[in-house]
Amino acid sequence: MPETRMLFRHIDDPELRTLEGYKRRGGYAALEEVMRLREPEELLSELEQCGLRGRGGAGFSMGKKAGFLPRGEMQKYLCCNADESEPGTFKDRELMWKNPHQLIEGIAIAGIAADTTKAFIFIRGEYAEVGDVLDEAVAEAYEAGLLGEGILGSKETVDLVVHRGAGAYICGEETALLDSLEGKRGNPRLKPPFPAIQGLYGGPTLINNVETLMNVPHVVNNGADWFKSFGTEQSTGTKVVSVSGCVKRPGNYEVELGIPSRELIYDLAGGPIQGEVKAWYPGGSSAPVLGPEELDLPYTFEDMADAGSMLGSGAIIVADESVSIPHMALRTARFYHHESCGKCTPCREGTNWTVKMLERVVRGEATPMDLDIIASVQENIIGHCLCVLGDAMAMPVASMVKRWRGEFEETIAKAREAAPAPLDAEPAIATPIGVGA
Amino acid sequence: MSRKRKPQITITVDGVEIGCEEGVMLHDAAKDGDVEIPVFCYEPKLGDPVGACRMCLVEIEGIPKLQTSCSTPVRDGMVVYTQNDRVKEAQNAVVEFLLVNHPLDCPVCDKGGECPLQDISMGWGEGKSRVTDPKRHFQKPIPLSPLIKIDRERCILCYRCVRFSQEVAEDEQLQLLERGPKTFVGTYNDRPYVAPFHGNIIELCPVGALTSQAYRFRARPWDIEDAGSVCTLCPSQCNVKFTVRDEGVVRVLGRDNEEVDDGWLCDKGRFGYQMFSSGDRPTSPQIREGGALREASWDEALEHAARGLTEAHGKVAAIVGGGASNEEAYLLQRIVRGPLASTDVTGGAHAALPAAARRALADPSLAVSTSQIDDANAILVVGTDPMHEMPILELRIRKAVRRRGADLLVATERPTALDGGSAVGTSGCLEAKRYAPGAAADFLEELVGEVREGESEFAKALTGADDAVVVWGESVTAGPDGERAAAALLALAAELDLAGQESGGLYEVPADANGRGIREAGASQNTGPGLTDAPAGRSAAEIRDALESGELEALILWDVDPVRDFDEPEAWSRAIGASNFTLSASMFGNASGQNADVHLPAETHAEKEGTVTHPDGRLQRVRPSIPHPGNAGPLWQALTGLSAKLGDETGAGTAQEVFELLEQDSPLYSGMTYDTIGGTGQRWQESGGAIEGAIEGGAPEGGPSPAAPEPAAGALRLGTYHDLWADYVSERNPALEFLSPDQTVELSEATAKSLGVGNGTEVIVTGDNDRSLRAHVAVRHRIPDDVCFLIEGTRENAANLLSGASTVTIAEAPPEPEEEQTFGTSEREKVEW
Repeated sequence: MPETRMLFRHIDDPELRTLEGYKRRGGYAALEEVMRLREPEELLSELEQCGLRGRGGAGFSMGKKAGFLPRGEMQKYLCCNADESEPGTFKDRELMWKNPHQLIEGIAIAGIAADTTKAFIFIRGEYAEVGDVLDEAVAEAYEAGLLGEGILGSKETVDLVVHRGAGAYICGEETALLDSLEGKRGNPRLKPPFPAIQGLYGGPTLINNVETLMNVPHVVNNGADWFKSFGTEQSTGTKVVSVSGCVKRPGNYEVELGIPSRELIYDLAGGPIQGEVKAWYPGGSSAPVLGPEELDLPYTFEDMADAGSMLGSGAIIVADESVSIPHMALRTARFYHHESCGKCTPCREGTNWTVKMLERVVRGEATPMDLDIIASVQENIIGHCLCVLGDAMAMPVASMVKRWRGEFEETIAKAREAAPAPLDAEPAIATPIGVGA
Repeated sequence: MSRKRKPQITITVDGVEIGCEEGVMLHDAAKDGDVEIPVFCYEPKLGDPVGACRMCLVEIEGIPKLQTSCSTPVRDGMVVYTQNDRVKEAQNAVVEFLLVNHPLDCPVCDKGGECPLQDISMGWGEGKSRVTDPKRHFQKPIPLSPLIKIDRERCILCYRCVRFSQEVAEDEQLQLLERGPKTFVGTYNDRPYVAPFHGNIIELCPVGALTSQAYRFRARPWDIEDAGSVCTLCPSQCNVKFTVRDEGVVRVLGRDNEEVDDGWLCDKGRFGYQMFSSGDRPTSPQIREGGALREASWDEALEHAARGLTEAHGKVAAIVGGGASNEEAYLLQRIVRGPLASTDVTGGAHAALPAAARRALADPSLAVSTSQIDDANAILVVGTDPMHEMPILELRIRKAVRRRGADLLVATERPTALDGGSAVGTSGCLEAKRYAPGAAADFLEELVGEVREGESEFAKALTGADDAVVVWGESVTAGPDGERAAAALLALAAELDLAGQESGGLYEVPADANGRGIREAGASQNTGPGLTDAPAGRSAAEIRDALESGELEALILWDVDPVRDFDEPEAWSRAIGASNFTLSASMFGNASGQNADVHLPAETHAEKEGTVTHPDGRLQRVRPSIPHPGNAGPLWQALTGLSAKLGDETGAGTAQEVFELLEQDSPLYSGMTYDTIGGTGQRWQESGGAIEGAIEGGAPEGGPSPAAPEPAAGALRLGTYHDLWADYVSERNPALEFLSPDQTVELSEATAKSLGVGNGTEVIVTGDNDRSLRAHVAVRHRIPDDVCFLIEGTRENAANLLSGASTVTIAEAPPEPEEEQTFGTSEREKVEW
């Protein structure tokens, strides 16, 4: 099955990046339509009816979320989460890089629908050039009266600021994003209150992923029923899927939700490089790892959840037969260990301890008993943390230890054979860290 | 206090029904029902919960995930499990995680034995460890401040200290640096954490990561006893718990009293205990014989004193200092006005307000309790800098502003720490106004006008508030315009209808620790016990003049040092020298008492028994926690003894009986006993106390005094202020000595520039009366360009040396070879950084 291009339509037209090019391809028609005809209430119900689910990871209904914002005369905010930091995920980068105006149009419409007059794009600092593209596009949009006070001569106002993050995965977590945007240390907040009630500067705040917002103009242009004709009942529309890892043609592919996962990996991405697929993350590195058995499942939110994993941000990472699962587990754990903010105990200490144990596994200094401890530590993390970062490490690591336990044991044995640690070896002492050393 | 109570609901915790108020946090509701849920990061005093430690996870029926009980408000019918297998597993897990990096050095850790982490590990942990991997390492212990050492390996990152710094004290100095498992608590660029409340973080720390330099390794929890009392080092009168080992105080902790201090202490109260056991303290009565003091028995000393005072034939005056208890003040005024047949008894440096005005200001309908400040919509701070004069009040005001969104208005001579408002996201200080030194009355009269007109934003904030609290410093009514200022305060109160407001009113910050108690016990020049009318006597300045001129012949200096703290120090030296007989009582030798004929050793607040009266009218009991050193003894007993020797047998055999005498004489304290005051105090306004005597003073005659003339070219107006650390406490406690200030003259940037001086330049400040002193320049933002400020009560070059000057000129001091000797004492400890 080929791609189904909605967000990616005309994506390779270099002119699309400019306001003129975007308009030539039918851009901002939706915003004009909204100005002429639509009431915010109507927009909200359309967004809810179309079944559009958040593309950032959690998969929550976008329309419902926007509907949670209280009505009334208070300052409300819209934040576009462009802190795309999940390993394996690079869809927003391409979308913003090549089609920034589609995002701006989506933000303007969502802003009008949710009555949020101030909007921000929180883009990860590493996307420096993409940030420049957005800056240019936002300036163009302001110039053309598509943003700011009185959009297209109406009474509506949406101000948009592009804010660059300072390099922390945790700032993709919505409440940490808000803290960071407020100029504080990017740490997640306690929920409730949810951002829709009390978010940025204490005001009701709608937070959506880039891809989610980019779907909005299409819903407005073509209607909820048209949108629902794509995908499955519970996963409507298309999805830009980042396929990476051991595949011949890694990249972003926009597909209708519900196509078999095998087609994504084997047909579109060209299949594994060496042998067959050994393991795959279906939704970014936080998703529990699946095996070849699950390759024929339809790629939808619900089927991935039923298989014990998640569609997440829609990023497939493929491991072929050349990959060592314990090393992959360690690599995954190290990422979350590095990115844990340190606020809550299970995540801070759990990621740290897991990395230490997995390092012993690959060094051959562990025993099968340690595998039990690793498994139990992951269970102790899951569901006990302040935000989901801890779970994001614990879920894939737990899934790997469970499914490939034999390989873990073999790895320990092989590493020990290769470099046997003397029984009377001095235990490793961590290098002192600290201030003024 | 006045917050509306929410409906009572019932929840079920572990099968037991608990009644509680709707919306309180589950942890607190469970605690009231005797179910303990372990916590580390949760501390209601610090504000909203953060839910970081995850120790308090519980299962709530209907919610799939475990929830943190510290951040879950209760709802009616909630069914909670805190001890089932699922919750136990989570608790075990969190304890295990916390110990992954926590060194198990309990046997050498100061916290060992009183450590929440130990207790929770034993109570809710597995009891064994599965961790074999190395723990993280930091340099340790290193100084976080000159008073606190930090051991980052022990830190469990509960956020408490950081939240205190950012959300309670709002000094914003403590930060979390790095992230994830590498996170540590520190300051910007490793600067020392120096702030007046920072000692509280030691007490907040649930592990041994933050330890007091002064207490480290001094005792173990099983060596010590706790003794509750009240700190009398400033008007805050915080409730404290002395840690006593071997009959000596080795530590001071807060004793939570929401009505007084919210459980916080300032560093002065927390570290000001070392002086209790100072070798410099006289520990026996002394009498002068052949020009030198010699130790004597109490009986001999009192006999000597009685004889000396009697020989003055009524020409006796007594000055009572701020450290005296109500009982001492009562007995002193009784002795002076009774057997000594004099009218000259007074407390404090300044002339008293007319009795009627004083009574009007104490009107219970205008009074607010300290905790009512929490509920105020607007707070006006006028003529006081709470951080220096009543530190804990500053935290209370910040709390009202930050958590309840109160509007804060400040009007002072000198910029205060409150002007800057508080951190981003809170309303902060709406407006800070400056008036010229001594012009408080003019400012208040103007404000009353503005409130009537309702035009300025400043006035609107006050008139628009349902509850407005006016916090005013005693200095407002201390100057020549004091009476006018008092009348304006009362007019303001009337204009705002403070009497009709539930949580609004006037709140005075007295100049002395027990200033209110001393006044209400009768040690005042024109009022007796309970602010009743008394025959007019002399003010402190008049006493000084009368001693010099011979109109007075004998003097009682009760825990007061006029040479250091009052105006005209040289005249005071002469006056005390001219006195035929001087009885002094003080904790340490001082300039005023050095020629005393009889000297009595004064008690510290760890030894004293008696009552003190908080600025909001709350009587609190100071209780003896340690024995008196040497031959020292209770001062109330010295005074009953002296009274008997003078022929007035009081019949009081205990401090309690002295209080009963005061209670009989004072309509304010009527019905109060040591028992009703109890451990947390009792406000006389709430226990049937009433004011007797006229309160209609009427506006004082005469309009505003002529405006102070503009300073001559090159001259600056002179303002002085009380610095928290400029007194004997910081000098007598080695831990605090680094804070004891040298005289500095504060100038605005523009003034400093025009004078060609900068921070640290040594200058000579010369008054328009030709008196001068040396000081170092401190350039400060927000100081008006035509004013400079000097510190009162520094150990050398105190501002009172310039008494009488209203403007000064400043010139760079000629270099002096022995400059080092001029400032500070050479034995002063150097703090290494």
